[in-house]
Amino acid sequence: MTWVVWRQHRNQAYIAAAALAAFAVLMLVTGLQMASEYRSALGLCAASHSCSNLASTLNLENSAVSAVVTLTVVVPCLLGVFWGGPLVARECETGTSQFAWMQGISRTRWLAVTVGWTMLAAAAWGGAVSALVTWWSSPVNSLNLQNFQPSQFDIQGTVPMGYAVFAVALGIAAGALVRRTLPAMAITVVVFTLVRLLVSEDFRSHFITPVTKTLNFLLHARAILPTGSYWMVSSGLVGPSGPVRSGPLNGGPSLTFDGVPIPVSELPSACRTLLFQTSTKSASGFPSCLAAHGYHAVLSYQPADRYWAFQGIETGIFILLAAILIAVTAIVVRRRDA
Amino acid sequence: MASSNVDPIQTRGLSKRYRRVTALSDASIAVPEGRISALIGPNGAGKTTLLRLLAGLARPTGGEVAVLGSHPSQDSAFLADIGFLAQEIPLYRRFTAKDHIGIGAHLNARWDEASVVQRLATLGIPLGQRVGTLSGGQRAQLALALTLAKRPRLLLLDEPVAALDPLARRQFLAHLSEAVAGGGLTVVLSSHLIADLERICDHLILLAASRVQLCGDIDALLAEHQVLVGPAKDTTAIERDHTLVQAVRTARQATLLIRRNGPVIDPAYEASDVGLEELVLGYMGQPAGPTPKHLSAIGEDK
Amino acid sequence: MISFRIDGRSVVPPYLQIVQQVRQALRMGVLQVGDKLPTVREVVAATAVNPNTVLKAYRDLERDGLVEPRAGLGTFVVGRPSGPPPGTHSRLARSLAQWVRSAHEAGLDDESIESLLRITLRAAAEEETA
Repeated sequence: MTWVVWRQHRNQAYIAAAALAAFAVLMLVTGLQMASEYRSALGLCAASHSCSNLASTLNLENSAVSAVVTLTVVVPCLLGVFWGGPLVARECETGTSQFAWMQGISRTRWLAVTVGWTMLAAAAWGGAVSALVTWWSSPVNSLNLQNFQPSQFDIQGTVPMGYAVFAVALGIAAGALVRRTLPAMAITVVVFTLVRLLVSEDFRSHFITPVTKTLNFLLHARAILPTGSYWMVSSGLVGPSGPVRSGPLNGGPSLTFDGVPIPVSELPSACRTLLFQTSTKSASGFPSCLAAHGYHAVLSYQPADRYWAFQGIETGIFILLAAILIAVTAIVVRRRDA
Repeated sequence: MASSNVDPIQTRGLSKRYRRVTALSDASIAVPEGRISALIGPNGAGKTTLLRLLAGLARPTGGEVAVLGSHPSQDSAFLADIGFLAQEIPLYRRFTAKDHIGIGAHLNARWDEASVVQRLATLGIPLGQRVGTLSGGQRAQLALALTLAKRPRLLLLDEPVAALDPLARRQFLAHLSEAVAGGGLTVVLSSHLIADLERICDHLILLAASRVQLCGDIDALLAEHQVLVGPAKDTTAIERDHTLVQAVRTARQATLLIRRNGPVIDPAYEASDVGLEELVLGYMGQPAGPTPKHLSAIGEDK
Repeated sequence: MISFRIDGRSVVPPYLQIVQQVRQALRMGVLQVGDKLPTVREVVAATAVNPNTVLKAYRDLERDGLVEPRAGLGTFVVGRPSGPPPGTHSRLARSLAQWVRSAHEAGLDDESIESLLRITLRAAAEEETA
């Protein structure tokens, strides 16, 4: 059976291997260059004690290569569309299922071996691309500390492997259900995109309860801010009557607090005046003024050391979804008329 | 010949309903071992459905079916004994004959590779050419050779010769007949081409309007039927003694296809034997709807 | 060795065509005692008829004592078709001619005679089998 799977899909395997090889060469060449650039920049800034603002002065990435790296986010989806979608659908569409399923091998066994190898190939391929991207990105990661950013998180570590396995399972299941290749491919793209967005936008921040910290303005703010590549889930001001409304107010001046704009008009007027005075003394008086009026800041974030836990959880979710889809496929293929 | 004395195909009240339509209704048939059975019926009569139910590719919605003594399943033990060839002759178009032989060799415990290779050589079908570029006749021959290489005990063929030219058709049927002559093989073959079937088949399953109209040995069925041509008079006497299958009446004359219960002695009628085609057309010409129960049992050994 | 020609359009059933062709070959001397008939497989490969048809024909020939199957070797010719004694034909022909004359006198044309003959033959066959 393995021979049959190989004979049927070897062209796809060759194409995939060629694409992977080309990508690996690109990653190795530009990655090595980037790493040495970063090392020498580190050496230079250490000599001049200016490493704290290295992120704002050093630009490591070549924009074209970065675009290619960013585009690897669609690799799992492509695998789902071109490997998963046709797997069962094409057999049904061309009627070759009536050839394959009338040989001396049970349909379950046929499905198990075919699906097994395809999923394994998807995991290996998705994993290889992701490993290259992860290695290539390590200087950028250390520099920018944005590992939790979806544009980084989704193409590095183990999650791309989970996505690939899920996308292929989705394609196979869609193909078994609709039995036509093109619709199966279309369903794969739509459902895959929706599920990915849903998980990354709505669920990911809740994988582990975020760490919440209250910032008393009387203390030095910097001292208790999280370090490293953390993920700020939410931040804002809390006043005596609850959280202060955040978001830009039409045209009015606003104060940016950890990236979240807070309209100045929402703050007590006594403190507002301090803000617009130019003397250094009154400017530093502003936080004390807020604290005196019962205001404090609340930060809710995922610490940097949870990165691999998050990667593991998300990978697990997608592998679980893939397992469910494969179970559905097995039931459909066994039960429905061929 | 296999030792079992159970018919390779036995069904009782077999039915298949799709959401809206009934594809096969209350089919009770039996095909004895070593026969080549002709499955005949108009388009949409349920021929493909019956073959797919027997092959285990479709599940019945009612009735019982026993194929080679067991219920059609997806087990490798059952599949090993069944050869099925769908109407559209599904093969992998981008693969060569050699690839298909490889697939067969890897998916079947019992595989007579030498027979396929030899058969293809005899027919001059290239091993290394993509199947999609072969002619319809070559594809059909390849598919049959692949199916026979499994050494099945039951072969189910759905309109295999419909698309073939006369020579390819003759070669295909000769190939099939040769395989049956080897022993231990039973065949059910559906087709519209009665002339071909008449030559090669010795058993008949006639379907019309998703029901079995006739099932039995062709010679026995032909012997039981006669065409009477005579004056257009009251036929109640005939109908009392015999079963009237079809009557074509003009003002003066009646042509009656009957199933006899004993000799026809009415001198007013000229009796003649029926051919397979006439018999088939007579039953197909019947108004649709439920047939009298005994009709489906004609020719069955009691 | 002889080969068979099966005419699918003939009213004569295929098995009977085989029987008749073997008998004819024996009468003509094409086949002689000791000759081997083609195997069932060879016949069906050449003519695409049902194997049971060939078996049935060979069984008929065997029953008539013309051929004999030998296990593992094939079917061999062991006898020649026996006709009635030479006088029988002419005696029956004379009485039939007399009957035809009386039929013509009664106003039957040739077609009606043929039809009557067929009916009578069939009835006789049924009486015998009954």
